[in-house]
Amino acid sequence: MVTTSELDSSLADPPLPARERRPFPGVDPVAGVARPNTVQVGTIVWLASELMFFAGLFAMYFTIRSVSPALWQEGPERLDIPFSLANTTVLVLSSVWCQLGVHAAERYQARARGPWWMPWTREHGWGNWGMREWYGLTLLSGTVFVAGQAVEYAKLVAEGLTISSDAYGSVFFLTTGFHGLHVIGGLGAFVLLLAKTLSVRRFARSEAIGAIVVSYYWHFVDVVWIGLFTVIYILR
Amino acid sequence: MRIEARVFVAGMVFFAPVGIVYGVVTDWDEEVGTTAILLAAGLSGLIGLYLGALSRRIDERPEDDPAGEVSDGAGELGTFAPHSWWPLAVAVATALTFAGLAVGWWLVLIGLPLVVLATVGWVFEFQRGGYAR
Repeated sequence: MVTTSELDSSLADPPLPARERRPFPGVDPVAGVARPNTVQVGTIVWLASELMFFAGLFAMYFTIRSVSPALWQEGPERLDIPFSLANTTVLVLSSVWCQLGVHAAERYQARARGPWWMPWTREHGWGNWGMREWYGLTLLSGTVFVAGQAVEYAKLVAEGLTISSDAYGSVFFLTTGFHGLHVIGGLGAFVLLLAKTLSVRRFARSEAIGAIVVSYYWHFVDVVWIGLFTVIYILR
Repeated sequence: MRIEARVFVAGMVFFAPVGIVYGVVTDWDEEVGTTAILLAAGLSGLIGLYLGALSRRIDERPEDDPAGEVSDGAGELGTFAPHSWWPLAVAVATALTFAGLAVGWWLVLIGLPLVVLATVGWVFEFQRGGYAR
């Protein structure tokens, strides 16, 4: 007598070796060869064009700084470096949490194996948390960053630096503001991704690919912020 | 995929030294051009290095075979929607929102909820109805 589960496993394809079971590069189930994933390649090409969007913002910043250097005598003095440095650290760390989430997604592990309040356990190590826990922490860190920027904006506006007060205010709020909009867009992507993994019965390749491309975007936004932070806050 | 990688890396190999030469010639005093040229190197480098890393991890595609036939490319290409109205909904909602920036903020207030609605609809189109999985 053959049970249903034995029948199922005898009909299923033999399991692929561990490396090929990962969602990236992804094995074509028909031909049995590894093929590039169009979503991942498309995301990278789009991010390359996003880099040029920020190149435009940098060009604007440097152009205005070179034609009215007087504004840069007092403008950057208003910036609160320790506060924004702490905020930057939160964003950079969120990229680390996001990457740990990617590792979980590559294992097709949606949620924690042990207690969810412990990212690290003796039996599973850093593999205890699944993609949802790590991405939830990333979402939280990103929200803290946006909230921190809102506090910073509120303080600057109260001190009289607004988008229309002078050219320094315009470029400051345009560059950091467009970056902030990108962060908010990333938070929306995290929410949609988490909702999607909660709505499917099985965490499959499509969810893993989604997690990976959102992480590409998040790392990109993080790197752009490091550039913006260096130029606006450190180099001035 | 090595050919594609090389084409894009060539852009980086060109723009990165040009950016540095530009910086030296202008005494690093003209940041606009230097940044733009170096980021152009980043533009092609990001795609080229990604494709290069990818080419080492995938098998030879039919396109990579000089003696390949069109029929060699047959098989699964990916997962695509059979038909979908959601991209149109996203486009209309986004157009309304951005038109609002020019026309008046009241239109943004109408457009933004529609953007959220259309995006959620597009993302979850395979979670509901006849295609639910």
